[in-house]
Amino acid sequence: MTRRETDAAHRQTPPLILVGTDFHRAGLELRGRLAYGHDEVPEALVHLLAREEVAEACLLSTCNRTEVYALPRDEEGAYQAVVEAIFHPRVPDIDRRGRLYVHWHEAAALHLFAVSSGLESMVLGEPEILGQVKQAAAIADDVGASGTVLRRLLASAVTAGRRARQETDVATGAVSFGYCVVELARNIFSHLEDCRILLIGAGEMAEQVARNLRERGARALSVANRGSERAEAFRLRFDDVTVLPLDAVPAAIAETDLVVSSIGGEEPVLEVADVRRAMARRTGRPLLAVDLGVPRNIDPKVRSLENVFLHDIDSMEALIARNLERRREEVPRVEKIIEQELGRFHGWHQSLGAEPLVADLQRRAEIIRKGEVEAALERFPPETHRHLEQLTRSLVRKLLHHPSTRLRREQQPVAHLELVRELFQLDPRDDEDQR
Amino acid sequence: MKATSHPPPAGRQLLLEFRPVQLFLSAAAVLLPLAYLLLVLLYGALFLSRHPTAERWAQPVLLATLGLHGAYLVALGFRWHQFPAATVPQALSVVALAVALVYALVERIGRERSTGVWLMALVFLFQLLASTLQRPDVPSLHHFRSALFATHVGLALMGYSAFVVAGGYGFLFLRLYRELKLGRFRLFYGRLPALEVLDGLMSGALWVGFLALTGATAAGLTFAYQTHGLRFLADANVVFTLATWLIYGVTLTLRRSGRWQGRQTAVACLAGLAAIVVSLITFNFIFQSFHGA
Repeated sequence: MTRRETDAAHRQTPPLILVGTDFHRAGLELRGRLAYGHDEVPEALVHLLAREEVAEACLLSTCNRTEVYALPRDEEGAYQAVVEAIFHPRVPDIDRRGRLYVHWHEAAALHLFAVSSGLESMVLGEPEILGQVKQAAAIADDVGASGTVLRRLLASAVTAGRRARQETDVATGAVSFGYCVVELARNIFSHLEDCRILLIGAGEMAEQVARNLRERGARALSVANRGSERAEAFRLRFDDVTVLPLDAVPAAIAETDLVVSSIGGEEPVLEVADVRRAMARRTGRPLLAVDLGVPRNIDPKVRSLENVFLHDIDSMEALIARNLERRREEVPRVEKIIEQELGRFHGWHQSLGAEPLVADLQRRAEIIRKGEVEAALERFPPETHRHLEQLTRSLVRKLLHHPSTRLRREQQPVAHLELVRELFQLDPRDDEDQR
Repeated sequence: MKATSHPPPAGRQLLLEFRPVQLFLSAAAVLLPLAYLLLVLLYGALFLSRHPTAERWAQPVLLATLGLHGAYLVALGFRWHQFPAATVPQALSVVALAVALVYALVERIGRERSTGVWLMALVFLFQLLASTLQRPDVPSLHHFRSALFATHVGLALMGYSAFVVAGGYGFLFLRLYRELKLGRFRLFYGRLPALEVLDGLMSGALWVGFLALTGATAAGLTFAYQTHGLRFLADANVVFTLATWLIYGVTLTLRRSGRWQGRQTAVACLAGLAAIVVSLITFNFIFQSFHGA
């Protein structure tokens, strides 16, 4: 058990159950069968809440995980209810094959926070999961499946995920070839939108790169391919793309800032002489050349040219490895954020328990104040009664301010709350007697 | 240049006896290097990881340090009744403040904090030298009363500050260029602004420095001719300054013509900065020069 888990064990947690599966437990085919589309989630939640064992629930379903977070009315029956309502309709024998995991209370909450922070993702720190948790929370809210506690828990998890991405580097650095090209370009050029980009090859890799570049603001895109059919199809998928014949590539380099090549063939498409000639015609602007072809599409001697940055699959893989390592180094900082946000959630949850106690304390004090004031009134002239009333109210308010704030804010163990009740004789029956 | 150490006039005697100023100067001379060292640590933490404490404190500490440094130079001027550039340590302190101010502007306008640790390291070095080498007696330079001389000193300090900034950005440019060129993604990759941005900052600082040094050289030569005749041409420091001016001029010309690009400019910036530092030490502490105070 880690320190985080040990600390957590001492805290009061809301009754919470998590039943789910993810890429560790289930293969792609199984995950596909279990995945719920956005439009299917509301109905699934309604089915689940029809079971009396479950009070509140949220269904998080992505391509990598399907998880149900529920507040049970009956802890024994809640697991069975979730499995029967959510998992059995898709995969009837899933629980028998040991593909599901179940976490209770604190462990379930910790898992949710780790998921929203990207610690449980297939690619550490990937950004999409945070949006997916937000969406799951919104759907649960819309269909009335989440109440005060679950809504707050989900909001805290989203806060933890957002903070993890803002305050640490757990989500920074490219971990895909497409985004690596963007990252390299951003390290060289001040504005990606002003870069003139040439893609050699119109296959899947070129598409992935083009999509990443366009998403980050790149505009001027040209594509050159051996067969014009594929290049035309590429042009149809992306707006404003210029199609060039392959033999026009050497001449086009002079007008290009970023060239990405991923085309088949034994001979290089770009020779060092082509690039040297092109660089002589450029006015000091650097050229980024990314060769994703196997065998190489660009002559490696290009690397020796001044102001030319050539990268191939090996250097891209090195970059991805370095970025993943940097992300892994950030995990302890993310865990600290999770601990803080979970602590805040617990504080809030504890304050729910403290609220009736504070109300009792204030009611009791008011009864005493009223009794004393009424007994003393006849000893004071009538014109002072209003001041007496104000004075005693203010006194009681000030005396109770600090204890009330502490009771609401701090995570008080149940024994402390009981002690306060005993010290101030806050048995509800006494109040009734006083009244 | 005639420099005399003389007893202060009666009015200034009062100021000398105004102990709080003296106390402040002594305290600030110790505090300033420490404050810049703290800034190096804070910006270092920001560079390596977006540490929340550094995020919160870097800018307030920078502003407070700039305020303290400004007050220190004002008090120095007040104490010696002249612009605080009569000695090399004083001039170094002025350059340190100018570089820190340039960085503060870059940070404010460009919202860019990753270069802070490197520029603050330079500022720390300059202020440490200034505080360590300061002397209890400061010559009274009556030349400061001449507008031509004041222009010469002001523009020279501005020029040298700009060259320090250009050298700092040049160093960062070379490091990032190397990592990108070799595909060895280590300390600088992903943590600095783009190469083009560093190139722009470097060349901007270079132009400001060159123009200021041109003005300073013209004003200085005119002033020296008026006061020393042609004798000043034999001064090693003058010869070296003219050579420095020429090197920066050639660098900018080659850059404009397209024959030199970012890397060569960065190397020239670093070489220029090294030459300036070496000349400052050589001509002011080792050899006697008519520039030496």
